[in-house]
Order: sequence, then structure tokens, then C-alpha cells
Amino acid sequence: MFRKVLIANRGEIAVRVIRTLREMEIASVAVFSDADRTSLHVRMADEAEWVGPSPSTESYLRFDRILDAARRHGAEAIHPGYGFLSEKADFAAACEAAGIVFIGPSAESIRRMGSKTAARQMAIAAGTPVVLGAHETLGAPADARAFAAQFGYPLLLKAVAGGGGKGMRRVDSDGELDAAFRDAASEAERSFSNPDLYVEKLIERPRHIEIQLMGDRHGHMVHFGERECSIQRRHQKVMEECPSPLVAACPGMREAMGEAAIRVARSAGYYNAGTVEFLVDARGDFYFLEMNTRLQVEHPITELVTGHDLVRLQLEVAAGEKLRLRQEDIVWRGSAIECRVYAEDPYNNFFPSPGKITRLTRPLGPGIRLDGCVYEGWTVPIDYDPLLAKLAVWSGTRPSAIARMLRALREYDVAGIHTNITFFRQILEDEEFRAGRLHTRFVDEFLERRKPFTPPPDLEAIAALVAAFHSTRNAAPAESARAPRSRWLDIGRQEVLR
Amino acid sequence: MKVSLAIDGRAREIDLANSDDASGAQIATVEPGVYSVLMDGRSYEARIEQSDGCVIVFIDGHRFEVEIRDPRRWSRQTGKQGVEGRLNVTAPMPGKIVRLLVAAGDTVEAGQGLLVVEAMKMQNEMKAPKAGRVVSLAARVGATVAAGDVLAAIE
Repeated sequence: MFRKVLIANRGEIAVRVIRTLREMEIASVAVFSDADRTSLHVRMADEAEWVGPSPSTESYLRFDRILDAARRHGAEAIHPGYGFLSEKADFAAACEAAGIVFIGPSAESIRRMGSKTAARQMAIAAGTPVVLGAHETLGAPADARAFAAQFGYPLLLKAVAGGGGKGMRRVDSDGELDAAFRDAASEAERSFSNPDLYVEKLIERPRHIEIQLMGDRHGHMVHFGERECSIQRRHQKVMEECPSPLVAACPGMREAMGEAAIRVARSAGYYNAGTVEFLVDARGDFYFLEMNTRLQVEHPITELVTGHDLVRLQLEVAAGEKLRLRQEDIVWRGSAIECRVYAEDPYNNFFPSPGKITRLTRPLGPGIRLDGCVYEGWTVPIDYDPLLAKLAVWSGTRPSAIARMLRALREYDVAGIHTNITFFRQILEDEEFRAGRLHTRFVDEFLERRKPFTPPPDLEAIAALVAAFHSTRNAAPAESARAPRSRWLDIGRQEVLR
Repeated sequence: MKVSLAIDGRAREIDLANSDDASGAQIATVEPGVYSVLMDGRSYEARIEQSDGCVIVFIDGHRFEVEIRDPRRWSRQTGKQGVEGRLNVTAPMPGKIVRLLVAAGDTVEAGQGLLVVEAMKMQNEMKAPKAGRVVSLAARVGATVAAGDVLAAIE
């Protein structure tokens, strides 16, 4: 096993990796930018090295500086976390060339899975279902009509060169086809200088369910079951759970998805931790979407339900050890939910809310896991993703896990900045959520129907009382004692007042 | 003593006698800015944040804006900025200018977007505080700005 490992990351994931390293008695090396000198991962690590100014392009994304730091500190391996360099095949290759172990898959696997079309081809070759579609470019609306005659409506016309929803049209009937084809082709021409279209069967309100994999370098691979990640905002996951309410209700589905995921990964010669993402339709049929060649943000819920430390397994596999787990050793117990706590204001268009954390109370007690990087007095830097912490809970059943998460969120207090904590409370109280009717448009629809977060009537009197009491005790607060807060919000408020 | 206040815009009067309110509530300071309240056998915890001219009270995730109307504190209140004359638009937090939406000399409506500042991977539009003419535009695309930097002036 390694004696020293460098973590090429920051924030909560760097802290998460350091924790396992310490449990394994492996020395940790943190890297940090100017903005992160006082960040928790630097405070917790055994060794630390400055790698550049605050912008990540000048620090956390600099191969040369990260590798220099690893050499200078004598680190034998680099854990990339997620984001930053974690899915850069060139970085994995550079580590290898420098004689430092990259804790992840091979550069070749990263490269092959990095191309969505290549990954789709691999999935097809591996016999894993992909979203039903024609592989050839459509010549005329008649080609799409033939596809519809065979597979039915609704379907989706997509630009071959497409991206960002441009050149994409939903078609529900033969009658709409000609116009939709014309519109999509001309939009594709305008956006990408290429009018070519292809056709796919449209999946209505799909679920996003993914399978966690772990493989060693000796050809053995197991899956750790699924995570449901349908609760997304702007295509970013905000809340995940394990098991998926759908998979839990469909016998054999987990095994089928797990085997399909392993087939795709094997065909790419994959090892270490990876995740295969699927879209799932209302009938429970699943379709390969893509593979993430790294540890996922939401890995803690899998750890809570299966009892395995995925970072430890990553380290063991990276050190060349054989994965001792067989598939039948992996069992799923109870239910886990994770909320991604962000420095943002859910009542002001989710604007980021950087600033100093003036007071912090963390949820404690049974079944709570908090992977965070914040402490009282720390200033959330403006330079990076505003993820403060991942709050995860475990309990025996989904309803009791929901109750536990609500309890934990009520204990969680972060002052000085805004967070999305109350937003999660509202989702957890939502009937549709409780019924497990999840899909990737859930948050958009929820934001339309959500009621204001109104306090019970007795609280206003208490608030008035405390404010009066506080003002008499603190008649002339010093300027410096005033809590810093989001100026963006102040601006927003002035807008409203005008 | 009596304290007049407005909570979320509604006027109220609170009578405080030492730490006990006339209604029989008991208040204890448990941490700086955190109060434990016992009333009618129920236990509440309230957390305070100070903001310009008012007190923000959080109870169980609910937020109350309280304006204290104690006469001794009137002098501390700052009036709303007038709409006459020249108004500066300043950067509310550090960030980077990514786009200019107007040019110096343009006539703008109140609330019209002037420029876009990016911070924490989010783009935020800075709006005109009033209708008028953009008399100066110090911001340029790509520039990093600090909180309080004057970006534009409207007259």
C-alpha cells in the first residue's frame, strides 16, 4: 500500500479522501491555491503545497504544478477527486509517465468514455440498451416517418452536430413531422453550419439512475447497485438517494442494470471506481447515457447502504491489490438520502452567496453523515463551486430516512451566508417526492407548484420578542459586529423595493 | 421597557421587563446571537443576524425581518437613497466583468441591465438603479473587480 498520497482537489472531496487516508495510516498531501490557504483540506492534511493563484486554470488544473508537488513531497499516488483533473486522460497519462499512480482508470479508458458517441457505440457493442434511435442521418422527413411507423411517437429530432438543445424538436404525430423537420434542420444549419438530423425515441420525464462500479486491475469487477439522481436543477444533481424508489419496487432491476453497466465498463478495459448513468422510462426500461470515470459526488449514499468505503477500495485497487469482494458479498441495507448544501439563495433565483460563515451548527445524532469543508469563521471563496457540504442520512426505510433528513436539516444552521437548506425541507415535504414519483423535470415542476415557506403563526410573536430583547441588549452594535451577508441579495431586495 | 417594532412590515409593541416579557416568556442567551425562548411550556430557539437598520431573526429556518422603532435608534436609520442626481453602480462582491450591455452616454430605464458580472460560476446582471443617462462606465470586459468598485454612474 502507498505510504503517501497527494489529493489533487479541494473542498469537501479533498477532506473526504484525507479521512480515509488517515484511517489507513497513509500520509496525505493537500494542494491549495491562494484562495484556499485557510481551507479545511489544508488544515487537515499532513502536508500541503501551494500550487498557484486562485483561478483553477492557474492552480488546480495545472498538471505541471500538481506533479511537481507530488514529486517534492514524495507522494506515490494522486487521488483526483471529482471535477478538475479527474476525467482528463492526459493527466492520468502524465502521472503514469512521471511514475506516479493515478488513482482511477487508465488514460485509455477515460479517453474512450469521454467521447459520448464512442461510449454509445461501446454500449451497443456490449449489448447494453441505448436510447432507441436511427444511427444514420435522416435524408428527408419520410425517413423519420418510417422510424415512427416502426417505433411510434413521440420522437425527438436532434442535430447530428448538436448541443445545448439547439436543432432539437419533439414530434408527437405524423402531421407535425414536416414542419418540425424543417425547423430543426434550419436551426441546426444556423447554429452548427450543419443541417443534418437524426431521430431518437423520446423518453418522457425520464429518471436518472446510475450504477456504481468497482474493478481491479486483474479483470474482476463488481457493482454496488444504483443511486437515483433525478432531483436536478439546471442539469445538476442536488439530491440523491439509494435505493431508487423505482428499482426497489422492481425485482431484478438492480441486477439487470448492474450487469449491463459491468458489460459496458469491461468493453472499455475499465478498472477502479466508475459510474454508468442510465435514463429510465416510466416502464422501468433503462438506456445507457454515459459513464463517469471517477468517484461521484454522491458516493456517500452507496457507502451508507452497502457499508463499504469506496475511497479505500479505490486506493487498494490502485495499489495493484485484488478486489476481494465478490458480487454476492455486496448487500444493500436500509435507505440513504443525500442533500448537496450550497452557498446560494433559493428565494433569489439560487444566486450564489459567498461570504463569511459567522455561525455554524451541524446536525448530529443517529444516522447522520456530513461531508463538508466549512467551519465557523471561514469565508466561502468566490472562485469555485459553492458546494459547502453533503448532508447524508441513513435509516431503515425510505420514509424514516426522509424524516431523519428533515430532522437533520432543522438542526443545521449556517449564518452569514444563504444556503439551500430550507429548499430541501420543502422538497422532502412534497407529496410527489414522498410517493417516489421522481423524474429529471421534478425540480422545475416543483418550483412551479411550491408554496411559500410560511412560518407557523406562533413564531412571529417569538421573533418580535427576541428582536426587541436583542436590541435592548445590543443598543449600539459596532459596525464590525454586523454579520456580512450576500450583497447580491441586497441588490435583489432593492430591486423589489423600488 | 416598551419597544416598538415592525415585523415583516407589521407594527408591534413589545413590553420587556428584564429578561421576561409581559406575556410570560423567558429568554436566555445561549450562544452569541442565539436565544432560547420558553413560552407557554414550549421551547424555541431564535438566531439573530444584524443587517442595515434591521434585525433578521431565524426560527426553525423561517426568516423574519424586524425593524426596531426605539426612538433612541432613529438616528441610526439611514433614509432610502433618493433618485435625484448622480447614482453610482458599485460591485456588490468581487467578480469578473463578462459583458457590457450599455455604452457611456446611453439613456437607460430604471431596472435596465447595465453589465454582467460573474462570480462563483454564476452570471449576475447589474441593473440601473434609476432612469437616466450613463455618464460614466468604468467597467471593461474581462476586468476583475473588488466589492465596492464603482462600475458605472447614472445621472
